Amino acid sequence: MKTKLIIVFILIFSFAQAQDQLAIKIIRAVTDLMSPENMKSTGTQTIVTSSGKTRTFEFESYMGGKGKSSLTRYTKPAAIRGQAFLTLNNADDIWTYFPRTKRVRKLASHAKKQKVQGSDFTYEDMGGGDVFLTKFIPKYLGDESIDGETCWKIELIGIPEQDPPYPKIVLWSRKSDYSPVKLDYFDEHEYNSKTLLLSDIQNIEGFPTALKMVMIDHKERSRTKMETLEVTYKWTPPKNFFSERSLKK
Amino acid sequence: MRLAALILTLPLLLWAEPEFYGYFESEADVMQVASTNYNFGYNKFRLDVQARPNANVLIGANLNIQQYWGQTTWNMLDFLPENIWKPIFQPAFLPDSLWVSEMPYIIPDTLLLDNAYMRASFPFLDLTLGRQQISPGVGYAWNPIDIFNTKTLMDPSYEQTGVSAIRAELPLASRLTLTTVLLPKNSWDNSTKQIFLKTGLGSYDVELTAAEYFWERTSFTGVDIQLAETKRNLLGGSLVGELFEWGLWAEGAHNELDGDDSFFEIIVGADHTFDNSVYLLLEVLHNENGIAKQEDLTFDAFLQGLGGETHSLMQDYAFAYLMHQTFDFVSLSTIAIANFNDGSGTLGPQLDWNIFEDTNISFQGTYSWGADDTEFGLQDWGLRFRLLSNF
Repeated sequence: MKTKLIIVFILIFSFAQAQDQLAIKIIRAVTDLMSPENMKSTGTQTIVTSSGKTRTFEFESYMGGKGKSSLTRYTKPAAIRGQAFLTLNNADDIWTYFPRTKRVRKLASHAKKQKVQGSDFTYEDMGGGDVFLTKFIPKYLGDESIDGETCWKIELIGIPEQDPPYPKIVLWSRKSDYSPVKLDYFDEHEYNSKTLLLSDIQNIEGFPTALKMVMIDHKERSRTKMETLEVTYKWTPPKNFFSERSLKK
Repeated sequence: MRLAALILTLPLLLWAEPEFYGYFESEADVMQVASTNYNFGYNKFRLDVQARPNANVLIGANLNIQQYWGQTTWNMLDFLPENIWKPIFQPAFLPDSLWVSEMPYIIPDTLLLDNAYMRASFPFLDLTLGRQQISPGVGYAWNPIDIFNTKTLMDPSYEQTGVSAIRAELPLASRLTLTTVLLPKNSWDNSTKQIFLKTGLGSYDVELTAAEYFWERTSFTGVDIQLAETKRNLLGGSLVGELFEWGLWAEGAHNELDGDDSFFEIIVGADHTFDNSVYLLLEVLHNENGIAKQEDLTFDAFLQGLGGETHSLMQDYAFAYLMHQTFDFVSLSTIAIANFNDGSGTLGPQLDWNIFEDTNISFQGTYSWGADDTEFGLQDWGLRFRLLSNF
């Protein structure tokens, strides 16, 4: 009887270990997919408020170091033309540039949670890198189907010492190519505050790329659509590109 | 001369397929000072042109046309406490018939080539030549290390006028930049020079600066206004970072003047976004160049303060800015300024509405407190409406 119990315990433990390993494997693959070595793109960002009012921005974006560094510059509308922000160290360090004052300003960590240009994306959301691997503990929750695609459902629990952007995220990743298709962001009260939906996934230069993203803010009842117009992964950043110098150009 | 320069550079600009952009801004104000109401405002059109003849060269210029309406001739004495100007303009030893009660200041309409510059980017250097906006410092309301600009406390982030300069920015390493600025004048000695070294220390940005220039200050002789120049050497620095999730910055400068005179100026600021999205910014200034006691205020100190030659009239101030994005594309904010030396201050609530894409309207009220002979108490209240449409 005792031996049977030990075997059952070992089996359960091994199964849990295997599930954890699977979750880590999936998140590593998702991270690799979302953080190509370098990327250059242009896109639009449309904010739709709860009352249906819209504002559309156009931007150019650069990413380097597997998403650890990024530079985004707004090109339209005229009111914010030239405004730019630079993130380094997985968005731990953020600088913004305001052409009206010709000033570069380092943002404190509280500003990372601020909405970028009033959208539903925060500066932290715009940062990439390996945050899912370094600031969260993944757990495999099972398989689910989204839009006819079988997906892995992974729960990411934030490691408090690592200052994660959210206490919890639930992510759905396509089994066919590891592409994430949905992310639910939870606040400290376990409330699903935001949802990111990724669609129109196309293979560009070997990378499955979501050309459309919608961030839904459930609290504000607003949404922000981001559409990629052009993207290349073959761009190589010049030396010291991710710097204040590029921000001001 | 400036127009000729523009005409000469126009073919080059057109060849480089320039981009045109800018804005129209209209402002209407009502203000009560010493129980008298004034209506005034302006219409401003700014046209920017930017061209890139090649990947390494940028040419930029902007033309500002500003038309004022309403009260355009001001009596400067209305903005000064009586105990300051009366002993000069209405001295007891003169008969009443010789007393003067006006010191007119006319604001003319302007057509200004504000900026006209060329920036050449080399692998090791960015060189900017011409009239350009240079805005040093990290302070929001005051910048002790800024020797080029004057800020309006009720709108500190308003664009600043260009200065004719040669600026070289040398990126020495990642997060290490050396910047030199030269405002050439008739001789090297008379030219303004400033050097900046900016680096990163962990999550902090640190900048050191040194400057040498001739500081122009206005004084009133009793008959007319004169400009006096004093050689000024500035040594200063700034720091931006964070502490306990509050953004934190400091900026200070020690200034050596001819004749063994010197003063120190420092600001310390902090900001934070609370969980309810309320943004709060606080900044305090201590300026040894200001006047410490109200009874020591002079006519010249007011002239220099109003003209932006000094960063503050008195020594100790606080500035606060509170903002919340309350409705869709509508933000509510308040500016508060306090002068600790004379106990006066101003409160300026504001509503800013992005009414259409690229078009904002804002309403600002101001209410001042303090005795009638204090810096802010002299003004009673004001209302401002501003429309800004970018293209």
